[in-house]
Amino acid sequence: MSAVDLALFLTVIGSVVLFGGAAVLALSWAFKSGQFDNFQRGSLSIFGPDEPPGEGTDAFPGEPSPRT
Amino acid sequence: MDRGMVIFLGALLTFSSSWLGLILFPFWQLRDEKPLTKDGEDPYPVPLQGLALAGKTVYQNNGCMYCHTQQVRSERFGNWWDANGEQRTGADIRRSYGQRRTVSRDYIYDNPTMLGTMRTGPDLANIGVRNPSAPWHHTHLLNPRSANAWSIMPSFAFFYTREKVVGTRSDKALSLGREWTVNPGYRWKPSAKEWDAILAAQGPALAAQKGIDPASAEGKKQLLDYWLTTPEEDYQVIPNADGDALVAYLLALRKAEVPLPEAKE
Amino acid sequence: MPAPLTSEMIEANRARSAAERAAIDASCRGPVLAFAATAVFWLLMGSVLALIASIKLHSPYFLTGSAELTFGRVRMAHLQAVGIGWASLATVAAALWQMCRLSRAELIYPKILYLSCALWNVGTFLAVFGIIFGDGQSVEWLDAPRYAPPFFIAALGIVVAWVVAVFRRRREPHVYVTQWYILGAVFWFPWMYLVTVFMIFWTPATGVVQPIVNWWFGHNTLGLWFTPVAVGTAYYLIPKIIGRPIHSYYLSIIGFWALALFYSWAGMHHLIGGPIPGWLASASTVGSMMMLIPVLAVAINHHMTMRGHFHRLRYSPALRFTVFGAIAYTLVSVQGSFEALKDFSEVAHFTHYTVAHAHLGAYGFVTMIYFGLFYYMIPRLTGREWASPLLIRVHFWCAAVGITVYFVALSIGGWWQGRMMNNPSVEFGKIVTYLLPYLFTRSLAGILLTIGHLAFATSFIMNLAGWGKQRSGGPTFFVEPVGKAT
Repeated sequence: MSAVDLALFLTVIGSVVLFGGAAVLALSWAFKSGQFDNFQRGSLSIFGPDEPPGEGTDAFPGEPSPRT
Repeated sequence: MDRGMVIFLGALLTFSSSWLGLILFPFWQLRDEKPLTKDGEDPYPVPLQGLALAGKTVYQNNGCMYCHTQQVRSERFGNWWDANGEQRTGADIRRSYGQRRTVSRDYIYDNPTMLGTMRTGPDLANIGVRNPSAPWHHTHLLNPRSANAWSIMPSFAFFYTREKVVGTRSDKALSLGREWTVNPGYRWKPSAKEWDAILAAQGPALAAQKGIDPASAEGKKQLLDYWLTTPEEDYQVIPNADGDALVAYLLALRKAEVPLPEAKE
Repeated sequence: MPAPLTSEMIEANRARSAAERAAIDASCRGPVLAFAATAVFWLLMGSVLALIASIKLHSPYFLTGSAELTFGRVRMAHLQAVGIGWASLATVAAALWQMCRLSRAELIYPKILYLSCALWNVGTFLAVFGIIFGDGQSVEWLDAPRYAPPFFIAALGIVVAWVVAVFRRRREPHVYVTQWYILGAVFWFPWMYLVTVFMIFWTPATGVVQPIVNWWFGHNTLGLWFTPVAVGTAYYLIPKIIGRPIHSYYLSIIGFWALALFYSWAGMHHLIGGPIPGWLASASTVGSMMMLIPVLAVAINHHMTMRGHFHRLRYSPALRFTVFGAIAYTLVSVQGSFEALKDFSEVAHFTHYTVAHAHLGAYGFVTMIYFGLFYYMIPRLTGREWASPLLIRVHFWCAAVGITVYFVALSIGGWWQGRMMNNPSVEFGKIVTYLLPYLFTRSLAGILLTIGHLAFATSFIMNLAGWGKQRSGGPTFFVEPVGKAT
């Protein structure tokens, strides 16, 4: 194993530990601080009182938009 | 997840991993490569100089790279099956694109490094070795159909000038028949009317020269072939500065010829 | 327990919400339309350049007299026109409008964005015509002459600042998955563009480091600039059009992080077998295979959201284009993962197979989704319906049939091209001749695509010029409620 290979190997291992550790920490923080609570609600944020779920919002010009 | 900072940090971490791994590591690993020097031999590779260096810019500005690669893949690459159904590899080397695979050291003086990703035409990594004839490259560039009838390469007639011969013919003049030089870049053929006019003016002299009877249909056709495949007397096609430079560059492409220790399989 | 809402309160809520949305759209109108309109202009330019290049590959005497229109230059100019012109300008339009809508925040100081749009277009103009007149750089995706990048950098800087500014002024507490993708894209793209311009042009790196940087950029332009914004657009448009929330929000988040991590590692598969360190190509092959995770996450999610609503493809032009794009995304990504394997790559590399793959990604996926977005967004910005359903149908069928024919023809031709090239006993001339019918078919497909683009541009210009009914009725109006509310 040459010096370059060794340096490379160490850096790869190092970065796996570093990045992997960061990811684990981030995930555990996210769980603890409730980022995953009531997750599915987020998907409703694009709707509003005037464009509620259950109403389509696009159609060919001149044609009515069918209800879902 | 309602925090911008989470997204920012995540995007930063994921992307910097690839930036480190794919960009900075190879940059450090490859930055100190030196040419191969052996006692009594020229170093390899050497930087392009003079006309060939100018030719690199012509190659670059006209996008030659988009049909021609400059890289030779190893013996282990490119599977095919021979007549006995046996699997074989190493087409690049068998097609004589190089004596060995190319390695990073072959490119230390390339800027930009035009490896290419497409082989609409053949690889050019060692075209200067494979075909060292400047006149061939000139006639091929003027109109590639003059060398290979099936070619779809563009004519690079704009690297050439057709001019009246004043005094003696230039050394650089391309030796090609009229069909390629009368209308450079295209394949010329006289219309029936033009041909009749040419025959009326020069027919008897030509016929006498070749011993062909221009009266018969067969003779007329033979005479036309002769006319098209012989060079024009009073006009010549010569390369301009770009044409000269480009051919100098092509002849300077001699990668994968000098053995390098790291290129062994 | 809160008191039940009276019908007046519901009506008032509705009107307030509609008025807010109308105000947001109104704040975007000028700059977003400027980006969108110039994007369509470059789409047309790119189509013409593409046709010239395509025809030249089977009829080499076509326009052969001029240096300006030689194949290599037209090929470079085409990529700049469609990649930096059309797709990037459309990406900016998509990012700005959706960021405003999802943040429920108005665009501030819109006039500065006109400057950004102008700079970007000047840059693209210099790139395309600089290449045509002989300054092309032969660095794939970065062929623009050296005087063009400063314009892109300045324009991009403004766009990034504005996207972030809108995000920071958000009134909507939840950050929707589309916003994640947009934020990722505007963060990644300037980074990799600057790194690449430095390492290839301003302080050139040695030898093969250049192609390494080149393909890191080239692949990530698709993967971390076009893809996130286009996938994000599908995540907004599909639920919004059919009026049904995304099937699994969990999956969409997993998909985002997997894309961020793996796509950025994928680029080196363009250099498999090339003179680069072996571990680099291997790392990218792993990255490419791992891409199956986010791709399948998105595919399952979109499919499950659409389930039971496929009949709506008949009624909504925007949905039709978007769903076509989403399906193409799955196909092209799965294909791409396998193309990165060595056994596959050694045939497909250096052939038209790769060209077909690239167009399925850049056109079938990215461009189709942006078409869908434009059909949804433009009427809401101009306040006018599209004037002609016929033109929309022509556009859709030309685009859908065109890209399918294009992809099938070049994939078949390219595959056999690769097989023949790997067999040293097949003469090169035979391969060239073999490809001619496939290349001719590609030109026909190109003509079809161009007809579609002309129909689209006509619709677009008619809409800008005020043809077509004012939008009213249906759930998406915003003109009338504004009047009522104020």
